[in-house]
Amino acid sequence: MITRNDHLHIDGISKNFGDVKALADIDLKIQRGSFVCLLGPSGCGKTTLLRIIAGFETATTGRLLLDGNDITQQPPHKRGFGMVFQSLALFPHMTVAQNIAYGLKLRGINGKARRERVDELLNVIQLPLIADRPVSALSGGQRQRVAIARALAIQPPLFLLDEPLSALDAKLRDSMQIELRQLQQKFGVTTILVTHDQHEAMMLADELVVMKDGAIRQSAAPATVYRHPADSFVADFLGAANLVDAGQVSGGAIQLLGRPMSIPSKHPENTHLQAAVRAEHITLRPAGASDGSAVGTILFMRDLGPLTELVVDVAGENLRVRSTNAASQGMAVGSKVSVIVDPEHVSVFAAS
Amino acid sequence: MSIGLSRKRALAFSLPALLAITPFLGACFYIFRFSISAETGTIQGFSIRPYLDLMTPFFGRSVWLTVKLAFIATLIAMVLAVPLAFVLTSLRSPLARRCLTVTILLPLILNLLVQAYGWILLLGPSGVLNTTLRGLGIIDRPLFLLFNETGVLLGLVQTSLPLAVFPIVSSVRGLSQEHLEAASSLGASQWQTLRDITLPLLRPGLLGAASIVFAFNASAFAVPLLLGGRRVQMLGVAIRDMISPLFNWSGAAAAGMILIGITLFVLVFTSWLVRITSRNVRD
Repeated sequence: MITRNDHLHIDGISKNFGDVKALADIDLKIQRGSFVCLLGPSGCGKTTLLRIIAGFETATTGRLLLDGNDITQQPPHKRGFGMVFQSLALFPHMTVAQNIAYGLKLRGINGKARRERVDELLNVIQLPLIADRPVSALSGGQRQRVAIARALAIQPPLFLLDEPLSALDAKLRDSMQIELRQLQQKFGVTTILVTHDQHEAMMLADELVVMKDGAIRQSAAPATVYRHPADSFVADFLGAANLVDAGQVSGGAIQLLGRPMSIPSKHPENTHLQAAVRAEHITLRPAGASDGSAVGTILFMRDLGPLTELVVDVAGENLRVRSTNAASQGMAVGSKVSVIVDPEHVSVFAAS
Repeated sequence: MSIGLSRKRALAFSLPALLAITPFLGACFYIFRFSISAETGTIQGFSIRPYLDLMTPFFGRSVWLTVKLAFIATLIAMVLAVPLAFVLTSLRSPLARRCLTVTILLPLILNLLVQAYGWILLLGPSGVLNTTLRGLGIIDRPLFLLFNETGVLLGLVQTSLPLAVFPIVSSVRGLSQEHLEAASSLGASQWQTLRDITLPLLRPGLLGAASIVFAFNASAFAVPLLLGGRRVQMLGVAIRDMISPLFNWSGAAAAGMILIGITLFVLVFTSWLVRITSRNVRD
């Protein structure tokens, strides 16, 4: 069903490169004005999907509907989607102003209106004084902003970004993420960004689309994907969860770390399950209190300042634990600890 | 240095090449000295007479013809070379690429005499083209495609084409696909992308190739001699005529200096053109 808020409808898109299936039957509805991140490891098909949306690749089967209109056969220059490339692809023979104005020039907008729009955009990206510089004279962050301004200058219906921040150093990338998000909200433009960096995706996205092997594994708000991963791949890819064997379902309970734990499960009896527990959802107490929780041994411990990173061996499973108070409780490598897992933060899936 | 050779060592290794160039430089100097000799047959005394003697309508026509034919041939060769370079870079199969490369290189590999006789067999008054056209009743008298300016142009284009293609190939290789896609995402059609992005990015490579081709064509000797007969007096042929039947060595040397001057001027002019056009200007 198409609602008025569905801006782009990706309808059953598949793509084969020879015998290789790069995308298999992708269905996705993108809301007007939302920021969507396509996230996945390299080779998952996220870039291919973006290039199909941009028109640089043609889908083997399926349709693209923009506001309900079929644009599957439209060439990229007719779509007019602003795109920021991984290499940024600023035109080296043009100045900053000429780069930003190029799309406007192609639309037959006259010189004065062009200059006004360029000045406006340079103000938005907080670089008002660089209009006449050649792009070779810009720093990495400046080039980044100019590439974004060039794509937004044409007021595109869709704003596409292909790993645009991957070339920046960590600190600059962090501040650019915030800036990019603010720009997107200011322009209210429907945005699709491809990344393999889960932190970046969580920072930017309204909707996170996690892909693997040419298929969508989960598509939801970042917090939902993080808290309720749809499968073990998503749990592991986003924030490195502990994946532990959970035995078979019996009587509405599973076995977690050798202890029974009741979970509200939709899985039928006797299904073999796997559980994901995030490192920050495990609480450690000095062993001794006989509260029925599992007991483990600390194998590795490192104080990182705001928190302590530990590896705890519980019944043969090595658990990553992130604790805010382990150091202050006098724990050390070799200590026995009680390991307490909050059932609310445990996700279970059928074992693959 | 990070590229493997220290400057001192690189200099040592290029010594043989420098030694090989020295006689050539010596010859240039010798020709220059001869061109200001007071005698026509030996180097003796100083005079600018050899140059003054060249200020004739006949020699003027020869200079004009040389510049004109070299320019037109360069233009045609460039127009033919650009699509070829694109095809060559777009070929995926190594075999196809090698076949096309060899075909393009053939004029450089094949002896010029063989090529010239090939042209004569094909385009001469009783060649394949003329006999076919006459056989079909399309023409009554044979088309004169050789032993005139048309013939020389054909020859110049053919021999200089490989020199144009390969420098262009390397600049086409340097084009980034993302630049072209960026233009198209901003709304540029294929033609607009070619005009606004591809050609400006190729410009230094194109001008470089054009200046090599021009210099090669302006100094051509065998092609105008074999395909133009005596009627097309390009400078190379004119210089030979001064030496061989006329024994006017100093005049020939002066004409040679003028040819070198023209070629150098074109090379300097194009490199200046590259410099000013790659500078940014705001529209």
